[in-house]
Parts: sequence; C-alpha cells; structure tokens
Amino acid sequence: MKAYFFAIALLLPAISFAQDRSIRPQAKAAPTINIEDSEVFKTDNGITVILSENHKLPRVSFNAVMGSTPEAEGSLAGLSEITGSLILSGTDQRTKDELDNEKDYIGASLSADNNSVYMSCLTKHLETGLSLMSDALMNANFPQEEVDRIIKQNESALISAKSDAGTMASNARSVANFPKGHPYGEVMTEETLANINREAIVEYYEKTFTPEGSYMVVVGDITKEEVKAIVEKYFASWQGPASNKVELGSGQFNNGNRVIFVKKPGAVQSVISVTFPMNVKPGDPDYLKLNVLNEILGGGVFGSRLMQNLREDKAYTYGCRSSVRITENGSYFAAGGNFRNEVTDSAITEILYEIEQITDDYVKDAEINLTKSSMAGGFARSLERPSTVARFALNIIKNDLPKDYYQTYLKQLEAITKDDLLMVAQKYFTPKNCNIIVVGNEEVIDRLKQFDADGEIEKLDAFGRTIKETIPADISADQLIENHVLTMTQMPNMKKAKKALKKVKTMKQTMEMTTAQMPFPMKSTRIWTAAGVQAEKMEAQGMKIQSSYFDGEAGYTSNMQTGKTDLTEEEISAKKKTSGLIPELNYAETGMEYEIIGIEMKNGVECYVMKTNDGESESYDYYSKEDFKKVAVLTISQTEEGTQEVATTISNYTESDGILFPSEMNISVGQAAFDVKVTSIELNGKIDTALYK
Amino acid sequence: MKQITLAVLTLLLGSTAFAQRKIDYVEYDLPNGLHVILHEEHATPIVAVSVLYHVGSKNENPDRTGFAHFFEHLLFEGSANIDRGEYSELVEKNGGTLNANTSQDRTFYYEILPSNQLELGIWLESERMLHARVDSIGIETQRSVVKEEKRQRVDNQPYASFITETFMRMFKEHPYNWVPIGSMDHLDAAQEADYVNFYRTFYVPANATLSIAGDIDVEETKKWIDKYFATIPKGEAINLYRDYENLTAEEFSAKYGVEKSNFKKESFTTPTDAKAKALIKKLSNTAIDIPRPEKTDERPDGVIQDVVYDNIQLPAIFMSYRFPDQTHEDMYALQMMNDVLSGGSSSRINKNLVEKQQIAQFAFSFAYGLEDAGMGIFAAIAAKDQSLEDIQKAFDEQIERISNELITKEEFEKIRNQYENNFISSNSTIAGIAENLADYHVYYGDADLVNTELQKYLSVTREDIQRVAKKYLTQDSRIILHYLPKESDDSEQDKN
Repeated sequence: MKAYFFAIALLLPAISFAQDRSIRPQAKAAPTINIEDSEVFKTDNGITVILSENHKLPRVSFNAVMGSTPEAEGSLAGLSEITGSLILSGTDQRTKDELDNEKDYIGASLSADNNSVYMSCLTKHLETGLSLMSDALMNANFPQEEVDRIIKQNESALISAKSDAGTMASNARSVANFPKGHPYGEVMTEETLANINREAIVEYYEKTFTPEGSYMVVVGDITKEEVKAIVEKYFASWQGPASNKVELGSGQFNNGNRVIFVKKPGAVQSVISVTFPMNVKPGDPDYLKLNVLNEILGGGVFGSRLMQNLREDKAYTYGCRSSVRITENGSYFAAGGNFRNEVTDSAITEILYEIEQITDDYVKDAEINLTKSSMAGGFARSLERPSTVARFALNIIKNDLPKDYYQTYLKQLEAITKDDLLMVAQKYFTPKNCNIIVVGNEEVIDRLKQFDADGEIEKLDAFGRTIKETIPADISADQLIENHVLTMTQMPNMKKAKKALKKVKTMKQTMEMTTAQMPFPMKSTRIWTAAGVQAEKMEAQGMKIQSSYFDGEAGYTSNMQTGKTDLTEEEISAKKKTSGLIPELNYAETGMEYEIIGIEMKNGVECYVMKTNDGESESYDYYSKEDFKKVAVLTISQTEEGTQEVATTISNYTESDGILFPSEMNISVGQAAFDVKVTSIELNGKIDTALYK
Repeated sequence: MKQITLAVLTLLLGSTAFAQRKIDYVEYDLPNGLHVILHEEHATPIVAVSVLYHVGSKNENPDRTGFAHFFEHLLFEGSANIDRGEYSELVEKNGGTLNANTSQDRTFYYEILPSNQLELGIWLESERMLHARVDSIGIETQRSVVKEEKRQRVDNQPYASFITETFMRMFKEHPYNWVPIGSMDHLDAAQEADYVNFYRTFYVPANATLSIAGDIDVEETKKWIDKYFATIPKGEAINLYRDYENLTAEEFSAKYGVEKSNFKKESFTTPTDAKAKALIKKLSNTAIDIPRPEKTDERPDGVIQDVVYDNIQLPAIFMSYRFPDQTHEDMYALQMMNDVLSGGSSSRINKNLVEKQQIAQFAFSFAYGLEDAGMGIFAAIAAKDQSLEDIQKAFDEQIERISNELITKEEFEKIRNQYENNFISSNSTIAGIAENLADYHVYYGDADLVNTELQKYLSVTREDIQRVAKKYLTQDSRIILHYLPKESDDSEQDKN
C-alpha cells in the first residue's frame, strides 16, 4: 500500500511546473492519407455517374451537373441565372407549392442553378427525394406566373445591388477581365432582364438540361448496385440533345494599368479589386503552381504577404486576400479587400507592390515550405467531407487530369520549386497591366489617377456599364469633318485638300490580320477606284475565305460557307453613304445622318465624338481633339442574333503620296479580337477589278 | 420461429436507419478548474483542438464595450514563448488552420491540425491561456484591424446595423444592450492596464473548457493535457505567475511582500521558501471572481417603433419579441414554431409574403437564443415599390394565426422530419463536434445533449407550439424598426 502511494508521489512532480514550456512539441510520424476510389460508370442516355460511397451518416446526395459550355447571352444577359431559379417552380405533375411541401416534408434539400440540380436527404427518404429531383430536372414547366414573379424579384434584386459594394465590384471585374461576347463578361441589367421571357427560358432549359454529356455526382450512404438501379429507375427516360461544348476565347488583356471606379454614396470603406485575366486551364501543369504562388501572395493563410503587410503590419484592413480563379471557360487573378477611405491609395500601392515583388524575385524558402504544408493540411482536412472525393473524380473527368492526380497530389505539391513559382508568376502575372477596381465614396477618386496608365479613370455604374462623361463640343460636325480632311491630306485649306484627293484614282491596300482564335494570319486586300468600285477579299493560307464587291450601284458579298449574296437595297444605300477615300467628305451629299455628340475621353485621348447612321448601322467615330485623326470607331448594328458591336481602335498613321492612312488597328467583334497591320498601300496603280469579282 | 427472427431483424435494420451515430466522449476537470472533453474518432487523420472561454460582450464593463471581441484578435499576437505573428504561422506551417469567434456569451478559439500535430495544438492553446502577449504594439495594431472589421461587417453592409439597433432597444438594463463589436471609442479610450485586467479576470482555467475531437488517442491526449494545462496555476496563482514574468523584482516584492527570487520558473508552484510557499497556497485557493450578469426578465415597455436611415435602396422591417433564454424548456417549442413560420421554402412566411403576396424580396424569422435571454426576430426586405406597412400587416396575420390555431398535422410532421434530418447532419465534422460538446457543457451543463437533444424536440406537441406563440409573440410588447434609404446626398454624408 505504501509503495503504491510512493509511486503516485513520484508521478506528481510530472504535473507540477517541472518542464520547460519554451520547448515546442515535435510532430509525431505523419499520418497516412487515404483517398477512397470513386466508382464511375456511364448510362445509356449519356450520363456519367460518379459515386463516392460513405456510410458514416445515413444520408445521400445526388447532384446533376450539365455538360454544356456556358454561352454568351448578349441582350438576354441573366437568362441562365433566371432559368436556374425557376427550375423548382413547378413541373408537369407538381405545382411549386406541392414540390416545396413534399421536399420540406422529408427534410430534404433541393436546389437548382443555371447548370445543375442538387438533392440531399436521409437515406430512408431517398426514393421520394429522387422522384422530386428527377421531376424538376426533366419536367420543369415554367408557369407564366412564376416567371413573372421571379423577374419581379430580380428587378428588386438589381435595385439592392446598387447598395452592395461587393456585387458592384464583382460586376466591374466581369466586364474588365472579359470581353463582350464572353459569358463571363456579361452582367444582367434592367434592360437585359426586361428582354427575358418564358419562351427564351424554355429554350435555354431544353438545350442545357440534357442527359448526354452530363454528370451525376452521388455521395453518401448508398452502394454501387443501389445507385445503378436507382439511376435507371429515375433517369433512364431522360432525353435531350447532346451537350454543346465549345472553346471560349480568353479574357481581355490591358496595355497599362486601368483604374475603374464605381461610386457608392456614403461608403466608409473602398472595396478594392486588383485583377487581370490569365490564359490557363484547370488541367494545365501550371495550375497547382499558380495555386501555391497565390497562397504565398494572399491565399487563405494569415501568413500570406498581403495579409501580413496590409493587415498585420499596416492595419489598413480586416482582411486582404488574393485568389486565382481557374476554370475551363476563363480564368483570372484578383487581389483586394475592404479598406477605409483614407488609405485607399496606400492600399493599392501596397497590393501592386506585392504583385510586382512576387514576379521579380524568388519566394523565400520559409514561405514555400509554410505554404506547401498548409496546402497539404488543407487537402487532408478537405477529405473529412465525403463530397470531396466525388469532386475529385468529377474534376479528373471534366478537366482530363491523370487518373491518379489526387493520389499523387501531395507528391506534386512537394515537388514544386522556387523556380517553378517565379516562372508562373512571370508567365501569368501582369503587374503593369492590371484592372484596378475601386468601389467607394467619390472623395477617394482624386487619389486614384496616379495608378492609371493614361491618367483617365473609367467610371462604371453598379452593373459594369460605362458612365460616359461628355462635354459639349466647341465646333460643328462640318467643321470637324473639314479639320479631319485637312489633317489626312496634310493641306492648309479645303480647296487644296479636295484637289489632292481628286488626284487619287485608285487605291490598293493589303493587310495582315492575326487573332488568338486562329493559328495562322489572314491576308486582306482592299481596292477602291474613283469610278466607284469598292472591293475586298480575305484569304487564309492561300484560300479565299470571304470577299465583297460593289461597283457603285450594286454588288454582293460572298463567303466560303454561304456562297454569294447580293447586297440588299438598304445595304447598297448604306454603301453609297460611306464611299470615297475619306467618306466624311461626302456625308453632306450622300444623305448620311451625322451629328456631333460632344467631347469624351477615349483610350486616354480627348476626342470629338461624331454619331452617324447610314440606315444599316449606327456608328460613333472618335477624332482626336488635338490633331483630328480618327482614333476609334464603335459600330452598332442590329442583326438576327441581337445587337452586334464592332469596336475598332486605330493606333498609327502612315503617309502615302501625301495622304495619311491608318496602319495599325485592333478590331474586336464579340469575343474575337483581330490585330490588323497594313502591309502596303499603293495609290494610282493599275487595278484589274475583275480579279476581285 | 424463423419468421419471427426475420421480423426482428427487419425491425433492427429499420431502426438503425433512424438511430443517429452516437458521439462518445470523456470529460473531466483538472485541479485548476479547466473542464476537459475528449472525443475520439479516426475517419480522417485530423484533430480539432478548441478552448471555449466563458466570456462574451455581456461580461464587459459598460464603459469598455468591445473588449471580449478585441481579445479574440489580441490573443493571436503570441505568448511569452511565441513571437508576434508566429502563432498562426506555427499552425499553418504544420498543415493546420485556426480561427476564433466571439458572441455575447463566449469566446471560442480553435485549431484543426493533422493528427500528428496534436501536442502542438495543446501547447499553443495552453500558451494562450497562461501568458499571452498583451502589449501595446499588439493593442495598437489590432485596434485598427477591429475598426476595419466593423466598417466592413457593419457600417458598410446594408441593413447590418439592425442587430445593434434591436438589442439596444430590447435590453435597457442587461449588458445585451450592446453587441460584441462594441464601441470603437471605448477601445480607443482603454489603457493597457484595462486590457491586462481583462485578461487576468477572464482568461483563467476555471473559466474555460478544452474540447478536443478527432483522430486522437485519449490516454496520450490526457498526458499532454496534464503536461501543458494541468501545470497552469490555480485561482489567483495564475496571475502571480503572470506578474512573475512581467514585473521587475522591485515591483513584485512591493506587490506581494515576497522576493521574486524566491520563485523559480521551472518549479513555480513548488517553491522552497516558506513565504513563497504560503503565498502560492493562499493564491491558489483564492478563486478569481468572474463578473456575470443575471438572467433578465426585462422586456419592451409597450410597442417601440423607430426609423433607421441607412445606405440602402429597398426599405426593410425588423420586428422583435422577447423570448426566454436558450436553456428554457420553451425554447424547443419556440424553435419549432419558428420553423413552421420560416423553415424551408414551403414555410408560411416564404409562401405568403414572398411568393403569394410578393410584397417582400426576402422575409424570414429566427429565434435567437442566448445565455441570459432570447429574442424572436421577424425580418423582411420590401420588394420594389411595396410598403413596410403591408409587410407588417402580413407578419401580424401570420403571428395571429399561429397563436390562435394549432399548426396542421402535416406541418407538424414536416418540422419533426426536418429536426431529425438536421440533427443527423449536425455532427458531420470533428470541429463541429468539439464545439457542440463545449457549448452543451457550458450552457446546459450537459455535454450529452449532443446525443439526446433531438428527443427534446420530438417531445414538443402542436399544443406546445400554439402555447408558446401566444405567450411570447406579444403584440403589445415588441420593437419595430423600419429601415429607410438615406438621401444619398454627399453633403449629407459629410455631416456624419
């Protein structure tokens, strides 16, 4: 008995203060991380089913994810979102009330968005849950009164968005990083919402919610055999067209930093987002490296550079973070947070400094080690959720990753070096070509000019639309045209200018066009004769792709796919209005509608804006206020597909026989952008017009 | 016979589908008063280490509001053995994540780590408890950070001030009068000594619960807890130790009448000097008095109606009623009543105000349970061109209906099913389990509610629901706030 007490007494000092707390505990051997395999199989109607079996809780979830690439919606921007929020609004068998009641009765969750329908419930309610889910997925019928209600609700939501700085910043980010015509560059507005109707919704739903090419991600308390039977039971009758998979173009890259300001009256903080697009996809070997790089710069950890600098050191903010969003359809980087008004400019300076710094120099060993461990830990923690394994399997299939990508994830992470990180930083980060978005109080705007390459801050409204600041012009439209003609002909007066132009009988211009969407350059040849012929032909790799011919009275266009189409009366009339070496000279006589709008900034240049309408399309022409050269043209025409905008910027003029001609242009149409270089201009050469017919 | 076996088997199988997973745990107190709860499960090789300090904004001095939340920031600044900024780095570089949150009633810290780093997590939390860095550099930095947090989460967030506006009208006496974010003026006015005193009062083992869950070995974990937490001095002796580390020899002897040199860091609690020994003994047995307000019965004196102008576009309404504290038996029926009104898309408020009448953009209600008192809040943002009066009328109709009629049998079945589903899903992560165990222990004195609370809900009847609706949704005692858009005139702004 005594010996026993003695033993306890011996133990006691162990729990007194007899140890040194400054010695940090050592880790034990690292635990092994097991990633369970997922089952994958395909159904007869083209659904790829991915199962991650996990019996820890008596729950199952089914997530049907559609396979089509998102599409640009143009004048219907917001259509997919609206459709998503209407999928659970009633089916051929159930009203919305019935659907809601049955779903809540079993305590299930059922949700839908523009691209998926998700259901989760206790295992014992699975049959009911799936009967509701499959009904909504396959038979949504969009009752008119529900469509009206959701549209009304979105009208209110758009009003609320005007007081939500985060939404405003995200809208600005969309239009800054992605061009018009790219689905990521579109924002729903009051106008586009007003264009959305039931017909468009049904069309979108039928096209998008289709089995062929879709994925069914199943997670939880269910076996493969059970899934096979139940998928057969509920989804075998699902039919529809094949998914539409297309390659979307990239984001739009800046030349110089561009400051974008969105006004939020009464704001006590500025929401800052420094952002730029990146050309990278999830399956790219650079993907993981970019994620490591981002973690070091401003990812989730407190130890990141942005967090340490802007929060822990300078106390400008509650949080400053960065992210890389890398998706199949478009990718971008963004860094920022919320900063009190007084430090808005200082915060931008520091964010830009950190982005620049990480592209200039190696990261420290300590940083890369911390980040790798932290990401490895995050990876291990993520495995606690049964849905993680299913998500891994979905990513492997969607992004065409190696089958063992996640099994070897930790090894890949470990193998990343400082050189890799500097390489991806320099390859993708563009610290001199950022969009700097600030949503905030107008009192901060003056301090933002210093960051903009051309010193002109672009102002957007809550939905990413340009707020144009136009001041009245100090000259008339005709005076503008005269000055332009004098500049182009380099003559002191109109008489001499007209004389100089009269001397030109023919012109032939060759151009080379390149675009990211095509691997090879295209060649374009244009001719013009004083007799009234205008023709153009475009070739690629020696093949004629497209041509047009107009003899002054009639003509046609022709292209590879559709063949020859005669010009309509309206087109002929429009052509006549834009004929002439310098068409502006003839506006007054040809019946062109033209008026001067005022003075605006365009691409950093103060410009006179002239609006013209030739009956076919409307056009805004920007002439430099300083020298009257045309620097940009925006043409807007209504086509069957909706409004089409062609934006042209002209950056360089060269002289031919005393007359100035543009020599470099950038033309963007929807998501395509062409760089055009004029390779030759020949005046008064002999032209065989027959060659262009 | 065979048939019976089959029937029994089916029964058993059937019932396993109903039975939720039982959460096993052990709990005990250390001699210094720290309560320990351990839950072992090995599904994923990670552990959650958490400490709940039973201090929230309701324990604050009315002239020093925002302190509890401020400490949540300050206590990441390091300790006597951890440099400034190193606390998070130690967690992150070892593959973990960490964070904390503060309510009116508690401050909760946690790390989630790979399971081989459990000892590190225990050590980190013990450092925070024994001798965190509470100095002017950290105070200055975190003061600015907290101000930014308030601007971001409250001032610049449409409608976000409604919590503050509601609590200050609901509680005139009780310290729920203010909310955790507190007053920036108070934080500015506070001296370093105020902060140090707050730490010495509330950050002590007897005011804390250590809850650990995940891939652990219980016996090994207990050893580490002994090593790092059981060694933290008991009662006021912890502050003696803190003084030993922070005061000069002169200051120390002047304060305690015992020479500092009579204590040794390595054997602090077992000095050889007689006077030192006596002092340790006395202070160890001197419990720290932790100020706690009483539960309160105060309620609005009549209908209090006010207008708040905010940077918003659509008007909103917030109507609030006094509910009992969260441990009161009626809270189970009130939670279920709230789900009839607002749980899921088929709930009464969503169906009526949002879908049928289309007067509200969002409309919902919630039951806000706190340690000393509760609140029921009805909230709605008006749809475009709709009036708050119509919304209030629609809410009142719903309140009248649920107070005067039994809910339907279908509704009753529906919410019971929802509770079963929620309960089964609620313990799906180890961090969630650690937090639930600590909460149930601290507020209800019964950690086992993690396994049994569903029964409390399932024993509520339709009659109970009508009874509590009648009792607590008092139309003659409530707070009605109308949120209206501020004129967005910049000169107006400058005046603020």
